[in-house]
Amino acid sequence: MTLEILRLDADRAYPPRESEFTKTFWSDLGQGRWRTTRCRACERQTFPPKPVCPHCWSAEVEWSDLGARGTLYSFTRIHAAPAVFAPEAPYACGIVDLDDGIRLACRLVEREDMPLAVGQAVEVMVLQYRDGPLFAARPCA
Amino acid sequence: MTRNVAIIGTSAIPVGRHQTADDAQLQVLEHEIMTRLVIEAVHDAGVEKKDIQSLVFTLPRPYTRQKYFHTFLMGQLRLACRGNVMEVMGNGMTAALAFDQACNDILLGRANVALALGINMESAVPAAEHMMSSMRTTGDVDFHTSAGFTPIAWYAMDAMRYMHEHGATREHLGSVAVKNRFHASLNPLAQYRKPVTLDEVVRQRPIVEPLGLYDVPPRGDGAACLVLASEDVARSLGRPYVLVRGRGFCHDGTHQISDVPNDMIAFESARQAAATAYEQAGVTAKDIDLAELYAPCTIVEVLVSEAVGLFERGHGAAAAFDGETRLGGRIPISTSGGLTSRGHPAYVTSLYNYVELAEQLRGRAGDRQVANARLGLATGELGNYNAALIHVLEAKR
Repeated sequence: MTLEILRLDADRAYPPRESEFTKTFWSDLGQGRWRTTRCRACERQTFPPKPVCPHCWSAEVEWSDLGARGTLYSFTRIHAAPAVFAPEAPYACGIVDLDDGIRLACRLVEREDMPLAVGQAVEVMVLQYRDGPLFAARPCA
Repeated sequence: MTRNVAIIGTSAIPVGRHQTADDAQLQVLEHEIMTRLVIEAVHDAGVEKKDIQSLVFTLPRPYTRQKYFHTFLMGQLRLACRGNVMEVMGNGMTAALAFDQACNDILLGRANVALALGINMESAVPAAEHMMSSMRTTGDVDFHTSAGFTPIAWYAMDAMRYMHEHGATREHLGSVAVKNRFHASLNPLAQYRKPVTLDEVVRQRPIVEPLGLYDVPPRGDGAACLVLASEDVARSLGRPYVLVRGRGFCHDGTHQISDVPNDMIAFESARQAAATAYEQAGVTAKDIDLAELYAPCTIVEVLVSEAVGLFERGHGAAAAFDGETRLGGRIPISTSGGLTSRGHPAYVTSLYNYVELAEQLRGRAGDRQVANARLGLATGELGNYNAALIHVLEAKR
């Protein structure tokens, strides 16, 4: 799945670490490619991507595409933020249930025409900072 | 013969601002507080120094300069013992684990008298700076913290979901804060004791929407000491004591969030741990007279009260609003003032919850005494109640 990329003229406040394993995820994300790991043994996807399947403990995992669309399970707006995030506050974060059956938590991008609401349809997108990408979600029709 | 554990003595300093800034001329030293508390709790229990064979400490905050605080304190007290001396850590569950581990030492026969104790000092560290550490404790430090999640942001999302599913209002949740402040007004150990109105609660500035300043815990310092003993020892002392009747633990196998969609606000680990504790105690939720819940935010108190069976799903907030959890209500919750008003020095918070239950179940709670309190429930947790540790306590007089 190809995600829309929103470019931002800033560095990430608290960049994720990358490992030999997760760098695939982050470099894909930077290209707008939205993938996670899927277990070859039990065929279940997991998110965030993991080198060992948490369900059946098989280490035979492969990269597989994720869908971008989902539903907002819940959300909040964070006003009291840690020092590195304070300049961005208040900012919205939420929990998204992807149509694929994966639940994840991420930053939310707000739209004036579609206020955040539990149950609102959302799509995953890329926030492309100067130093690398983060994934986020925003309301969609 | 089965051994049983009893709480026979307690001590604590009022929750509040005790930590001194780094540049203060005179410093407040943790061990000076802690040694006095040990003496006070042991005196309350009526045992002697030589009786104590195990000490389980909560891990101090990283801001405490003295490292290996537990063994340092052994030296301050010249306290030799042969059971166990250790510090435990389990994020928000830290103090509940210290209590539980001290119980274990008695159950294993390693000690007939054990202490569960600790100190949490953090208030001189600014909130935004402290959050730089606490944001790394909940969720995935790479995949969640990078988005800006903070520990209470997860509870805020519980609140948003609960309001959506059950039609609860800000006023329903806020009534928990009003009730807790009223309880705190009657508790000398509480950090914030001036009563507040519901209107004041809902008008506070937002911290993590929909939760405002009075829906979330204040920051504060605290220290407490519990003296536990085998029931044989407790009985021999001829004073009221509190028996640990049941214990349940459950970790739901997720950290903060399940990537397999679940009912996030069911707090399944609390439900299961409570079921285990009730079964061990031979009681049901209906038998509980009061509860001290580990509930950093108003919404958490509501969700835990439902998960442990004190209220039906979706009814907890309305019940709180209707006064059922207030002193004199059907099931008083957080008579100490709870984490929102008694205070939340996180690593020792559960010690204060046991102190409150010990006061109530020994009939020493004064103006906030729950009449004829016989069975009390305490919960500890970590994450978004991804793990719960629950104890049923019984008054023995």
